[in-house]
Amino acid sequence: MSSELAISAQQISKTFVLSEDSHNTVKHRLFNLFNPPRNRKFEAVKPMDLEVRKGECIGLIGRNGSGKSTLVKLLAGVYPVTSGKMKINGHTLLMNLGVGMSHELTARENIYVSASVLGLRVKDIDAIFDQIVDFAELSEFIDTKIKFFSSGMVARLGFSIAVNAGADIMFLDEIFAVGDVKFQEKAVKVFESSWIEGKTVILVSHSMDIIRKYCGRTAFMKHGNLVYYGDTPKAVEMYLEDNH
Amino acid sequence: MGKPVSEKYFLLSANRMERLWLLAKIEFKLRYYENKLGLLWALIKPLLDVLVYYIAFKYIMKQGMPNFASYLFLGLIIWNFFVESTTGTVQILRTKKYLYEYSNMNKMEIYTSTLMSNALGFLFNFLMFMVFFNLIQTRGLGLSPYNLWIIPLFLNLYILGLGLSLILSCIYIVAKDIHQIWQVFTQVLLFLSPIFYPIDKFENALPGFKYLNPIAGIIVNARKVMMDSSPPDYKLMLADFVYAFLLFGLGKLLLNKLGEKASEKL
Repeated sequence: MSSELAISAQQISKTFVLSEDSHNTVKHRLFNLFNPPRNRKFEAVKPMDLEVRKGECIGLIGRNGSGKSTLVKLLAGVYPVTSGKMKINGHTLLMNLGVGMSHELTARENIYVSASVLGLRVKDIDAIFDQIVDFAELSEFIDTKIKFFSSGMVARLGFSIAVNAGADIMFLDEIFAVGDVKFQEKAVKVFESSWIEGKTVILVSHSMDIIRKYCGRTAFMKHGNLVYYGDTPKAVEMYLEDNH
Repeated sequence: MGKPVSEKYFLLSANRMERLWLLAKIEFKLRYYENKLGLLWALIKPLLDVLVYYIAFKYIMKQGMPNFASYLFLGLIIWNFFVESTTGTVQILRTKKYLYEYSNMNKMEIYTSTLMSNALGFLFNFLMFMVFFNLIQTRGLGLSPYNLWIIPLFLNLYILGLGLSLILSCIYIVAKDIHQIWQVFTQVLLFLSPIFYPIDKFENALPGFKYLNPIAGIIVNARKVMMDSSPPDYKLMLADFVYAFLLFGLGKLLLNKLGEKASEKL
């Protein structure tokens, strides 16, 4: 771990505007110029500071609806922040069920596109291509469009790309909750190997065993607030208390 | 880590160029290789367009222009590139969401690669035009050094298409029916561009209009350099570059302002 920052967030927050009418058209806007739609605001992430150092593995815990996934999308640079400042130092990859694959493309094309988006050169992708395919156990279907894959196959492919091509900063949102037992074992094995060394990982999970085992620091969220950010055992304790 | 800044920058831009080419190739393949006739469609489509308009204007409207098929051909392939790059990309931030939904990829690359793929299609059509004009319709004037002016003219068309693509797709984030509005607008523009009328009739009916309609200006100049062996109308060309850069600037501005909302709104 270095003292260099991978992510620095100052007073970031996210408010969603929930519009009561679902139509979002020029016509609708013209006819309602003097009758603006009634909007409801929902503050999913309340102002908070957060810093993640390079090479750290950070846990992110909290009950359903506490704002974890929104915070992850803010930190990954996928959603814009409503207020505050964000600085991201490197390529990010957010992984939940997929890693950004097109269902119209074949597994092969998806591997090349995703890995290239993550900053790899084509010759580097060529070098790890077989590794990705073998790990995902999809060598028979490599030139099939992934829209014909089962959801488990898509998840395996996404996970394999993430593991083998990986970004500098990885956001893993509940990756241990998907897939069958074999898949979960594989995911855990990856964590046991040296894979995460040198990478910055933000791990969202409801499994306290995994959080305790791999995360140096942990953030605990409640109702969009960052209640605690620091020692993992203390954060886990607070989370467990919150569940009772 | 540890690499000098210049080398790092080179690696980054090499990676970007590779990615643009990769995305453009896949886009091109998706468009043409998915169907039985494959790349032939890229060749058949403009030929059929030319045939339809040729019959309509030559035999029904009694258009007596020399080299009329080539005249139509060149106008139509420029028009088709324009439509594919504008109408065809209104929903680009939705269809290509998978590229930026999970990572902090620069959205500009999505536009550039899609237009590169359209440019490949244009290149095929353009080569066909060259064969047609120089070998089949031999009443043409043949090759000339002025033909090289087509390169800056195409660059102009590309920037114009890119600018409008950025504007339309960003408006789409907040107003979905821009797609229908633009379709009607292009229909009007098709008939307000000198694609199937002789240029003198067009200019008599709408004097000075080619200065207001950038696509008309590009078509007029492309015919001058490719078919008349004459230099382009420089004033017109300058005006069209100014339009293209203004629209591109506006498009970039909109992308910076609205683009980041795409992942939550679309």
